[in-house]
Amino acid sequence: MDPLVTTQLLNIVFGIATLAVLALGLAIVFGLLGVLNIAHGELVMVGAYAAWIVQTAGAPYVAAVPVAMIVCGLLGWVIEAGLIRPLYARPFDTLLATWGLSLLLRKTAEAIWGLGYKSLALPMPGTVDVFGAAYPRYRLMLIVACLAGMTALAVWFTKSGAGTRIKAMVANPELAQAVGIRTGRLARNAFIAGCALAGLGGVMVAPLTPVHPFMGIDYILDSFFVLVVGGLGSIAGLLAGAGIIGGLGSLVSAITDRTAGYTTVLVIAILFLWLRPRGLLARA
Amino acid sequence: MGSWLAHSAAVAGVLVLLPFGLGDFAAYELALYFLYAIAALGVGLCWGSAGFLPLGQAMFVGIGGYLSGLALIQFKGSALLIVLLPLAALLPGLLAFGLGLILFRGRRETGPYFALITLALSLLAFQIANGWNSVTGGFNGLKSIPGLPGLGDFSDAYWISAAALAAVIAGTSWLLRAPLGVLWRAIAQNERRAAFLGFDVTRAKAVVFGLSGVLGGLAGVLYAPQQNLVTPQLVGFTLSAELVIWAAVGGRGSLYGPILGTVLIGVVTAELRNRLPYWEVLLAVIFIVVVRWAPQGLVGLLQPIARRLRRPERGARLNAPPRQLAARTAAIAFQEVAAHAGPVQILDGLTLAAGTAGITCMIGPNGAGKTSCFNLLTGELPASHGSVRFDGQPITGFAPTAVTRLGIARKFQIPNVFPDLTVAENLHLSLWGGRARPRDLLKLSLHRWTSPLLDELARRYPFLAEGASRAGDLGHGERQILELAMALAMEPRLLLLDEPCAGLSPEETRQVIDVIRWAKARLDLAVIIIEHDMSLVKELADHVLVLHQGRLLAAGSIATVQADPAVRAVYAGGTK
Repeated sequence: MDPLVTTQLLNIVFGIATLAVLALGLAIVFGLLGVLNIAHGELVMVGAYAAWIVQTAGAPYVAAVPVAMIVCGLLGWVIEAGLIRPLYARPFDTLLATWGLSLLLRKTAEAIWGLGYKSLALPMPGTVDVFGAAYPRYRLMLIVACLAGMTALAVWFTKSGAGTRIKAMVANPELAQAVGIRTGRLARNAFIAGCALAGLGGVMVAPLTPVHPFMGIDYILDSFFVLVVGGLGSIAGLLAGAGIIGGLGSLVSAITDRTAGYTTVLVIAILFLWLRPRGLLARA
Repeated sequence: MGSWLAHSAAVAGVLVLLPFGLGDFAAYELALYFLYAIAALGVGLCWGSAGFLPLGQAMFVGIGGYLSGLALIQFKGSALLIVLLPLAALLPGLLAFGLGLILFRGRRETGPYFALITLALSLLAFQIANGWNSVTGGFNGLKSIPGLPGLGDFSDAYWISAAALAAVIAGTSWLLRAPLGVLWRAIAQNERRAAFLGFDVTRAKAVVFGLSGVLGGLAGVLYAPQQNLVTPQLVGFTLSAELVIWAAVGGRGSLYGPILGTVLIGVVTAELRNRLPYWEVLLAVIFIVVVRWAPQGLVGLLQPIARRLRRPERGARLNAPPRQLAARTAAIAFQEVAAHAGPVQILDGLTLAAGTAGITCMIGPNGAGKTSCFNLLTGELPASHGSVRFDGQPITGFAPTAVTRLGIARKFQIPNVFPDLTVAENLHLSLWGGRARPRDLLKLSLHRWTSPLLDELARRYPFLAEGASRAGDLGHGERQILELAMALAMEPRLLLLDEPCAGLSPEETRQVIDVIRWAKARLDLAVIIIEHDMSLVKELADHVLVLHQGRLLAAGSIATVQADPAVRAVYAGGTK
């Protein structure tokens, strides 16, 4: 195969894999708690700044993973207790509250670090030969890590007791509570996990994209569109959504320009909302 | 009408006096915030009145701004501008209306989906404005846009903005007082009930979104000649976010909330932005606090006073025109109807005929498909097979609004009214639903409508005449009666009642039975009742349908059905 085509294909796979991880945290929170966390993109931004701080401090890049996940997890804990739990039964208000939160995080980042772009050094420089194409080592590592992580998660969700409890909570929260599942704690943990995953996503993408206060908006929209297209409730749906949104978006962007890629994604999302509002692989 | 005139004149008076108190420069600054206030009012209408949140309002401001800027540059000083500038404000409105029709169609819970699509559209508009150099001037925007012909200096800017704001306030306050405004609030509270009163909910919401688009467009059209510059920032995300914050902090649910919010925060921000680096962080915190603890914003704190000032529409009561229905009979025919919920087969080849004059009771064990039968008939449950006819016409797949307009009214099992509207508004909506043409909803006189049937109902139930209490404050029994009265006020051909006496005391049950009998005779109505209480069935039913496992098990008089061995087997706990 032409090395150029191979590179482009790998880029598309890379786009899908990272998008799937970025959307995963949003899907967990939206699917399990019915809360659309608009500040999800800003948590990705916080994770990216955490990575930048770790790298600027001279620590190894891997250290950014726990740092970002802990920072975002802690933020998630505070957000859940302060904003989400009091508004559980009011989905519209959680939307607004998290929208306000996204403003707060963005403006805080702007006040601390300014509007300028921060760029990070690539933690794993160099390339690997894939079918004749020289592909960046870091990107390849991310693709493998994302796929491995998603598989592990899918296995855990179907096999473990915690997975079953979560499914019980989603299907019928009151009954789940009645059989002794602590739904409040489960919901809090799910929210914290979603936020920590956003932080992880931030660490992943930070070396590949300019880090700035407004970077979260693109991620929340793309992740949301993944959920719109793929539907809630299954990892297969998530991957299908990421495949369509990430794949088509990067394909059209590669052929023409970013605006066209953007438009394509938006039109697809509107078409899905219009014609297939439950997504491709929604659970009934 | 009189109070509306006085109100609009008072607003105009305040706007005329304001610059004398402030001086020219402050007035010039205010002129800009008045334009933003017009756009924020659009956000307030969508979000506070009709219940859906637009996160991309700046898109319409920007489109209006670019169109106006281009027109002013191309046709400088030409008389054509008299036509072109209003068009430039109207076009974003049409775009919004079209988008609304697409996005609202067939879905009730639009919340997050709609909001994020508008956000994405606004970002897309930014990309286009930023990239389409030949038309929009790219990143630097349209520069040196001439002012409006014949106007120029600082103070003229104020008068233009103030005049636009006064006109917008007058228009919006009319709409909010008119039946249309009541309908918007009704939709925000309970779309399902609104559809079952025969209102085209999708179009009503699209109209609100279209109006907000016009308001955004108008702000943009006036912005271009006033600032002489239109950049991609005007379509972008930041302004969209600010408009939402202003509307929220001021108070989204009222006319003045978004306006006060915009002017106050706008002025304070202009003062503090450079002096206090954390001002915008603080503003975000204020926004969160408002969402969490004071959803009606600053104006909401004054709401109790405002409510006391509002007077009901005065004048003689008017009889609503009689309802015109094409259907001559209420005959319902299900033919081999099947329906699923996920893997579960709810209706399994159901064939039945009902709706002949008189009362039909539908009975059957839990899970027999009784409520599903209603849902399918009224367009809430799709049929996977078979057909449904009403008065001989196929209605399979009709939406609730369309079914209701044919003359079918439905009362739900759990009382389903508009909790935050008054009893009078609830009843009015049921009169308007089947009788008012869309443009009639602009007439204040509709607030005085009543009907002989409603008057008779109010004599039976005096609380229906005390119109000023909130429907949500009524007890369970009274809400059941209110919903029944709403269904009857529609004067349908066929009335569907789902356990109308559930949760009522024996006394209330007796009253409801009397009303159903009375209404049947008064309106020559066909009634289908889902009922579990066999004593009620014996008392009411002219005809009984027994459903079991999604099929018709037996039909006939109560005696026939009781004698049927298959029915006995089901009710005695035997298996089929």
